[in-house]
Amino acid sequence: MNNESLNILLADDDEDDRLLFEDAFKEVKVKTIVSLVNDGIELMKHLNASIENLPNLLFLDLNMPRKSGMECLDEIKSDERFKNIAIAIYSTSASEKDIEETLVRGANIYIKKPNDFSKLKKILSEVITINWQYHTSALNRDNFLLSI
Amino acid sequence: MNLKALTASFKSLKIIFIISLLLIIIISALSYKHINSLSQSVGLVVHAHKIQIELEQLISYLKDAETGQRGYLLTNDSVFLEPFSNARAKVNESFYSLKTLLSNKTEQQKNLDTLYILINSRFNILTSTLRFNPQNNAELIKRRKNMLLGKDVMNNIRSHMTKMNVIENNYLVESQKKYENQNYLTTIFSLLVSLFSIIVFVVSYLKISKDLLALKKANDKLIIEAALTKHAEEIGNFSSWQWNLETNTLTYSDNQYKLLGCLPNSFEPTIDNYLEFVHPDDKHIIIEGGKEVLHEKSYPTAFYRIIRKDGMLRYIHSVSRLLTDKYGKKMLIGVNSDVTEQHLSNIKLNEINRELKESNDDLSSFNHVVSHDLQEPLRKIETFISRLKEDEMQYMSEISKKYFEKIDSAAHRMRNLINDLLLFSSTNKGEKIFTDTDLNTILKTVLQELSQTIEEKNADVRSAHLPTLAVIPFQIQQLFTNLISNSLKYSKPTIAPIITIEVSLSSDKEKLFYQAESTKQYYKISFSDNGLGFEQQYAENIFMPFKRLHDTSAYPGTGIGLSICKKIIENHSGFIYAEGTLGVGAKFTFFLPFQ
Repeated sequence: MNNESLNILLADDDEDDRLLFEDAFKEVKVKTIVSLVNDGIELMKHLNASIENLPNLLFLDLNMPRKSGMECLDEIKSDERFKNIAIAIYSTSASEKDIEETLVRGANIYIKKPNDFSKLKKILSEVITINWQYHTSALNRDNFLLSI
Repeated sequence: MNLKALTASFKSLKIIFIISLLLIIIISALSYKHINSLSQSVGLVVHAHKIQIELEQLISYLKDAETGQRGYLLTNDSVFLEPFSNARAKVNESFYSLKTLLSNKTEQQKNLDTLYILINSRFNILTSTLRFNPQNNAELIKRRKNMLLGKDVMNNIRSHMTKMNVIENNYLVESQKKYENQNYLTTIFSLLVSLFSIIVFVVSYLKISKDLLALKKANDKLIIEAALTKHAEEIGNFSSWQWNLETNTLTYSDNQYKLLGCLPNSFEPTIDNYLEFVHPDDKHIIIEGGKEVLHEKSYPTAFYRIIRKDGMLRYIHSVSRLLTDKYGKKMLIGVNSDVTEQHLSNIKLNEINRELKESNDDLSSFNHVVSHDLQEPLRKIETFISRLKEDEMQYMSEISKKYFEKIDSAAHRMRNLINDLLLFSSTNKGEKIFTDTDLNTILKTVLQELSQTIEEKNADVRSAHLPTLAVIPFQIQQLFTNLISNSLKYSKPTIAPIITIEVSLSSDKEKLFYQAESTKQYYKISFSDNGLGFEQQYAENIFMPFKRLHDTSAYPGTGIGLSICKKIIENHSGFIYAEGTLGVGAKFTFFLPFQ
């Protein structure tokens, strides 16, 4: 892990959400490098191109054109090279089905996109300060969905 | 009369017949013996009489000889000698027949021998008397002497004959006595046997007539049952048939023909004839079913189509069962039902089900649209509103601020509506796991949740002891929450709310009214309050989604709470209704089933 700054990647097809995400990180008091990709295909391309400098934390939208977040999740989890990337699902829906499925497929945390900018900032700062090692080993149905 | 009793009756009839036959044989044997001994004794009497007559005859012949001899002695005329010599031959003849008659009696035989000697000597004396010369005195004396001797012999003969007669008489008397003794016993015995026979016949008659009566009753019952079956077959659109597997013959009930659109007995019941009516595509069902029966593989139920005589297509459901009687003979019995109506309505039902499933699918994709696609822009609106609120409010004019607040509250309401709509639709989905739950515990949790509002309003919740029921716990919790918060919300501002929860068992009348399953028992639970109430005419409307009786500004809400209550009760196969009086209060009553 880079001690200087946290390497964060967001895969989301929605331009507004990417904008809000970037804005929120600008206001968070942690040193971060935020990269953005527009969809699943681009995400996989990006990851494969930056093996030397993989993100520490990936925010993954589920509902994306061309390649969905769920497919990306499977692909990343089945690739040994990406095993150190923590994956936070970042979705509008908080349906039981999606939560259950992503937990089973190996996501680390599930974030429902908030409808308040200050809440967004709070959630994001919460997520980047989580000790992932500890969190992942004690992961269960109750602490998977992050709620502020 | 059942079959067992009938069999027993046949058995006893058989026994009675055998007893009667034996009795008749005994009576016949006795009668034969009786007649036989009677004729035997008659024979004996005749025999004895013959002997006596013959003895009389004998003596009479002897007298004839004596008379002839005397005549000759008196007249010296040889004419008198003729009967004398004739008598000799006749005596011999008579003697011979006596010998025959007495052939089996040793004693009399001996007597007869003695008699023979005596008679012989009598004749010798008679003959020798004739030789004396009557002119000579000396000779006359001799003749007299001789005649005296003859008289003695004659006396001997007479006494001997009397003796023989007496013996014969004794013999007769003895045998008659013996016969009478025997006859007496036989008569008594015959009488007893006859009496017994009469008793047996009377008892048999009574038994047989009783059995016949029972048989007649059973027969009458059978006739009624047959008529009932026939009637039932016609009403129920089914028929019955029997297939004797030993003789390979079929028997049809009248309705079997009618189901095929034919008159009873209008064709010979055979498989081939039946197949004529079966739909060409379904013939194999009957043929293969028949084969399986013959090979004793299975006794199938079959579903196939027939084309009736009038050309109508009907659906038949056939069920059969194998019967084996006590002799091991096998018979297949079956019932054919015309299930056309059921089948067609099933098809219709399936169609409706399919449509329902489609519309459910539509609904769930609609839910998806609501939960994802509608939420997405709304969330952004809200987020940008929050950004503006945070950073830009200070630069807005007063009027902009006012409009901006309105936008914010509209967006907020939109959010609530979507959330409640999702809640409403998810009440139907998700796992429905029924567990035995103490409703008192649920109520306690709900009151805990609502404690803040209860305290604020100074409300009093009074509950009877609630039952423990198999329910979906979180749904019942939701139900209680909705009902109580509803009462709290629509309470009168000046009076502390009182919420009363009551429990009772539903009456049959109520069950009938709500068309409930009559076999189930229901708990009737009601929540009543002293709040604003409502007019009874809205009692049904308030359960419809988004129907509201109050304006949004005074009583904020989406109008989904009671719809969710209704849905929850429906999920539990129960019923809910509302009663209200404007300004007095409202009462919500629901029924929950229990085993």
